[in-house]
Amino acid sequence: MLVYQHRSALTISLVRTVGRHPGRENPVRIAKITATTVTTAALALGLAACGSGETPESSPSAADASGPKYAGKTLTFWRLGDSNPEAQKYTDELAAEFEKQTGAKVKVEWIPWQHVNDKFTAAAAGGAGPDVTEIGNDQVPLWQSQEALEPITDIVASGDQTQIPKNLMGLETIDGETYAVPWGGGSRAVLYRADWFKELKIEVPKSWDELVAAAKKIQAEKGSDVDGFAFNGGSDANHLLGALAWTAGGEYAVKEGDTWVGKLTGPGFKTGFAQYTGLVTDGLSSKSRLNQNTTEIRTRFSNNKVGMYLTAAWDLATIEEESKGKIKGDKLAFFPLPSQAGGEAQSFLGGNDIAVWGTAKEKEAAKEFVKLASGKEWGVKYATDGGLLPVYPDALAKLAEDPVQAPFAAAFAKAKAFPADPQWTEANETKAVLQNAARKVIEGKASADEALAAANKELEDILNAS
Amino acid sequence: MTNTSTLSRGGGRSSAPGSHRPRPPRKASGLPAWSIPYVLLIPGLLVIGALLLYPLIQMAIMAFQKVGLVQISGKKPATWVGFDNFTGFVDNDIFWSSLRNTVVFAVIAVPLTLVLGTAVGVLLHRLGKKMSLFVIIGIMFAWAVPPVAQGVIWRWLFDAEAGIVNWALNLLPDWLSTALFSRADWTGEPWLNDAWSIYMVLIICVVWAGFPFVAVSVLAGLKGVPAELYEAAKVDGAAPWRTFWRITFPLLKPVFAVLTVLSIIWDFKVFSQLYVLAGTSNREAYNLSMYAVTEAFKAPPKMGSGAAIALVLTVILLIVTAAYIRQMFKQEDT
Repeated sequence: MLVYQHRSALTISLVRTVGRHPGRENPVRIAKITATTVTTAALALGLAACGSGETPESSPSAADASGPKYAGKTLTFWRLGDSNPEAQKYTDELAAEFEKQTGAKVKVEWIPWQHVNDKFTAAAAGGAGPDVTEIGNDQVPLWQSQEALEPITDIVASGDQTQIPKNLMGLETIDGETYAVPWGGGSRAVLYRADWFKELKIEVPKSWDELVAAAKKIQAEKGSDVDGFAFNGGSDANHLLGALAWTAGGEYAVKEGDTWVGKLTGPGFKTGFAQYTGLVTDGLSSKSRLNQNTTEIRTRFSNNKVGMYLTAAWDLATIEEESKGKIKGDKLAFFPLPSQAGGEAQSFLGGNDIAVWGTAKEKEAAKEFVKLASGKEWGVKYATDGGLLPVYPDALAKLAEDPVQAPFAAAFAKAKAFPADPQWTEANETKAVLQNAARKVIEGKASADEALAAANKELEDILNAS
Repeated sequence: MTNTSTLSRGGGRSSAPGSHRPRPPRKASGLPAWSIPYVLLIPGLLVIGALLLYPLIQMAIMAFQKVGLVQISGKKPATWVGFDNFTGFVDNDIFWSSLRNTVVFAVIAVPLTLVLGTAVGVLLHRLGKKMSLFVIIGIMFAWAVPPVAQGVIWRWLFDAEAGIVNWALNLLPDWLSTALFSRADWTGEPWLNDAWSIYMVLIICVVWAGFPFVAVSVLAGLKGVPAELYEAAKVDGAAPWRTFWRITFPLLKPVFAVLTVLSIIWDFKVFSQLYVLAGTSNREAYNLSMYAVTEAFKAPPKMGSGAAIALVLTVILLIVTAAYIRQMFKQEDT
């Protein structure tokens, strides 16, 4: 019944999609995958998607006010990450709802995470850009500083959006103007092969030492080319390093007055950094993959080459697709990253926002789209369908009762964010300051103290550059 | 070349079919005869000016400006910063390691390419017709592989787990491997982590793809050397080594000059192969091109600083090439 409902709804939306941009996805293939995915996805995503079988009713107030006033117009909407059936379905339904309310069509383009900054760069330099885009919350200060985002303060000042807690908008609010609306929280937990744990009689780790022991056992049994716990040294390495360092009481940098003061040499950060580099030096993860990011780790996970790694629930649907349906359901589970002493680690306060691009051709329609998408109905659905945490407090409270989502909700409550500075992306990805510090330590070219002292100075220089 | 053919075709049209000579007068164009070559050069110069000179000048200007996305998209004017972009390099470790990597790579790769190419060229000259053709076709495949594909090929060969290099090294008898490299186990050896081993793979990759062109050019040069000279050398009892340095090398000097200049230019600005082999996150393995690209196009883009690096690379190339050509002509005169 559930499956049937999903399939029919999906087919309808797919026909629409295909009509809009021919050749993008093969409807038959997706339908097939979805049919097999639905049960797992419903399980994995916690909140059963039963109610979403059909396009949900629009909120009457919005429908009355707008009518088909943007008929004939087309919005370009950038979704970030790799498309998966669940996310595609949500986006199609949202687009259909928007078209019903305003008459404007929505053209969706998917941008893989590792290309997001390059695509934004090209768009901001005058290339083809979106009207509305999803955006990582830590990227907002950077793109605001490049004058690439449209202020949308009025959107968060009225309607559903007033319920979004203000402390979730620290990165989005700059000089009194808001440039993006929080859409879903992305705290992270450890995804592990539950079937391997069962087979090898490993208990879910409660402390860092137990995690290390579990990883070694996996490698001993599953082969030395398997990463027990995958090291992330790529573009999103700081999600892992940050979680470890914050838990140990460390900080990246603290703003004192107008200047950033680096804290990488503090004892807390050092402890976390030692755990991080230890993943490779202790052999839990191979030395030959120092550059891999979460996407590459996920691909290896799908190919039975990783036992555990730090990620979020959005990877589940893609793993099932990449492993051709072999790794799904009860073969996968999450646990909160344990701290060194035991207890839960602090997670990165990640999250995705939705924003109006500065050079949008249809600014008014784009704002209306953001208003609809980030409203309570579609905002909560975005988070729950996509494996993220809703930004609306009552929906989040409900989620904490769900056993699958509880690790994330627990981590979210303690989550911390990276330095809120436009230059953070430069340190985080472009210069890869900490990735290179870790590389030096792992290769034995510098001691942790030397590498962190150099990284600290570089981080300060970057964050304080105008 | 194109200009020449245009000229002859133009001449052919104005003459009546069948009457080839005497050539018809160029009255139709109304231009004095001396100006014809210059007029015909104009389209070529315009293309070069628009596609090469203009961007080059623009780059030189940007090297002295602060240019980011806001400036490129025209929201704010670019600001002049004088030599700030350059003085920023002085205490910048990444710049100096990039410069070192660029120069050391070229100093090793250029002679290797030339020596190997020349050796194969001489070999080709001595081989029989069929064998020579076979070898030429074989090596030209390497030359024909696009740079990105070259990078991919060598990246896979040197892959830590699936790579054939580690597999082959493991096949060596333990005593031999230990004697040569003082280790026997090569399983999972990560070749593409360290800057030095990345550059070793890069040198192999670039020399592999670059030597066929040198070999074939040398072969073409050798075909033009009169066989009598070699016969005379043989009669005098000269060893092959001596023959090469006394006959082949002096006669092919112009060929070598061109090949050396081209190799220097190619190897100084190698980018695609390195990009594939090392990726952008390992900054110790940057060369100047990689550094310029990440600086100019990775978020947040600093195009002024990127242009300054590119300008430094251009100036180095101009100096090296000019010095080399000067040297060649000096020797010619004496």
